[in-house]
Amino acid sequence: MEDIKRTNRREFLRAAGAGACALCAARALAEDVAGNRVTDGAHPQAAVHDAMWFEHLPDKAVRCLLCPRECVVAEVERGYCGVRENQGGDYKTLVYGNLCSINIDPIEKKPLYHYLPRTMALSVATAGCNMECKFCQNWRISQFRPEQVDSLLIPPENLVRIARTRASPTMAFTYSEPVVFYEYMHDAAAAGRKQSVGSVMISNGYIREPALRQLCKHLTGVKVDLKAFTEKFYTQQCAAHLKPVLETLEVLADMGIHTEVVVLLIPTLNDSPAETAQMAKWLVSHMGPDVPLHFSRFHPTYRVKNLPPTPIATLDRARKIAMDAGMRYVYVGNVAFHEGSNTYCPKCGKVVIKRVGYNTDASGLRDGGCASCGQKIPGVWTQEQALAFKPKAAKGPKTSPAPGAAKS
Amino acid sequence: MTRCSDRMTRRTFLARAAATSTVAASAASALPLASCAESPPPSPNRSRVVIIRHDALAADGQGPAPECVRELLDEAARALAGDAKAADAWARWFKPEDRLAVKVNCLGLPTKPAVALGLAAAVGAIGLPPQRVTLWDRTSHELRRAGYTLRTTGDGVRCFGTDALGSRPGDGYSADVYTSGATGSLISRIVLDECTALASAAVLKDHNLAGITGVMKNFYGAIHNPNKYHDNGCDPFIADACAQKPIRDRLRLVLSDATRPQYHGGPAPRRQWQWPYGGLILSTDPVAADRVGCEILERKRAAVGMKPLEAAKRPARHIASGEARGLGTAKLERIEVVSIGRAWLDVGQ
Repeated sequence: MEDIKRTNRREFLRAAGAGACALCAARALAEDVAGNRVTDGAHPQAAVHDAMWFEHLPDKAVRCLLCPRECVVAEVERGYCGVRENQGGDYKTLVYGNLCSINIDPIEKKPLYHYLPRTMALSVATAGCNMECKFCQNWRISQFRPEQVDSLLIPPENLVRIARTRASPTMAFTYSEPVVFYEYMHDAAAAGRKQSVGSVMISNGYIREPALRQLCKHLTGVKVDLKAFTEKFYTQQCAAHLKPVLETLEVLADMGIHTEVVVLLIPTLNDSPAETAQMAKWLVSHMGPDVPLHFSRFHPTYRVKNLPPTPIATLDRARKIAMDAGMRYVYVGNVAFHEGSNTYCPKCGKVVIKRVGYNTDASGLRDGGCASCGQKIPGVWTQEQALAFKPKAAKGPKTSPAPGAAKS
Repeated sequence: MTRCSDRMTRRTFLARAAATSTVAASAASALPLASCAESPPPSPNRSRVVIIRHDALAADGQGPAPECVRELLDEAARALAGDAKAADAWARWFKPEDRLAVKVNCLGLPTKPAVALGLAAAVGAIGLPPQRVTLWDRTSHELRRAGYTLRTTGDGVRCFGTDALGSRPGDGYSADVYTSGATGSLISRIVLDECTALASAAVLKDHNLAGITGVMKNFYGAIHNPNKYHDNGCDPFIADACAQKPIRDRLRLVLSDATRPQYHGGPAPRRQWQWPYGGLILSTDPVAADRVGCEILERKRAAVGMKPLEAAKRPARHIASGEARGLGTAKLERIEVVSIGRAWLDVGQ
């Protein structure tokens, strides 16, 4: 209730209007995808596609080289993600275009706050994830196998067509974990670039460097969930490790692709001031003070139902700690109406972008800077800027092997 | 299919079994063995595992006739329970009013349909009708591919996958998450809603990570996310899956299809590493059954000059984890192996 008190009637009506627009967009989208439904429950053959990033092992086994898990997968078995299968000694993805979610969302919902504000993103997902976060909001798709969810079959070129038809300048690969449907995301993003549609990946960042560098040739933005800043949290709550995620953030910074970081603060598990301070310090030193950082509010779900929602005061405290550490763009998320949702000019302190729910007023932003004082605000503010992105080459002698099957 | 009943009367069969058990006992080094014909009730302090072997079981192709399997399972059940009559033995584990779900394994080298059907026929001795027995796995597609005939209604044994329940994908699993160990899972509604008793009818075969796929790992097919259970050589995840409360509470009997086991290259079928062992392994202790099955695979690997599973970097650690979770007995010296027919450790060359 404390959140609503901060909202006036005009802001409330504006947010409601944005919701109504989203509903209309969803209805139009439903017409676009009618007839693509997969009805037999099994993964359709058309969604089976050669996987990228693996190597052959003896006895028809393979080792997946897509994510840091590096699963060794025997014939007829699947990797940890549940969507990549060894078929006769070759590795296949079962979710190439096999979408379990498709929506048109405000880009702010991703959340991406410094990326084409007030635009919509055609947002898609398949089943599967390479982590098992006990607090996952989307576990009904991320922790399922493709044959266990309703799905639509939409090839990459059709997805691009829908984005263009529905005036979405961006395709967002999101909801579950796009790394596990890498091949589809890669091909759709490449096809999108050719038709002036950008692509953003909303990810846990659990991906090996060569695969990430190859993918970012086609992406125009990335959001990474940094689940916590301790190995203990990653192992106990996510069945994963912290270090590979930090390496991903470093690689993204190295490539220069627009990146925003989200931290879901969960009471008692990852919300200590000391941990937040360490995290902020690391982000400033490895990604710079301008990377947008979002502290999101946790709500009890899936296997963490014994903890309360994150107090607003905890989010406020984390935001202050990060800003004290030098970060310039720190936000509070999953709170409907909060001043921490706005973008402020770091020079004059004026509101540059005001956000109420998913309603965004960017009138304080002019030519990529503060309308009041002209201070440049880092971000992707035009579609031309988004599509012009090319990743910087890797530092040092490291080169990426060609994707696909490598001989062991 | 090969029939065994026309080759052997019950009396001759028992006489041969008793005789070969004696041979087996002398050939099996320090491992405990007992004769099936003379089996007393199992010791409360030891887990009993019965292995019955017969040439008819070793047949290639579709395997033995279900009636042959039924006969042999009756003998194995008598030996397991220490009862004179098979019906008395089956009645120790099942009641006529039970709804029995027999979990078969259709991934890779499958449980032979004749083995599962033989079990369904055998429990009929206590008045449990076929239509109250369900053979099942994850999907109907996998069952059909493994040679099973699907049936959801009618008088015969029912056979369908978890995916056949409900009208939408995923409906076949529980709405709630069940946690056992570190991972949470939804459980097949065949376990939760369609049965009062559960049996595991697995295949004895090699696994590239866990060392052995047996009666415990068979329950990976009862959860919606087995892919989350393969780290660290599937340990302790196999034990965790088997220890899920709905499974543990309903599990009465385990049966391992060792008719033509596979000692390498699993879980996918590899004919070059299968051999005609001609056995069925029966127990009420899933850990002991897997421990004994693992010993058979290890002996065969040694006989053909292959490294032990430990040296091949896939020791079956989950068996000890099964004991740690109270699911059964992992140490061979505390398992009473009853061998009927050829000695159980006679794995050939």
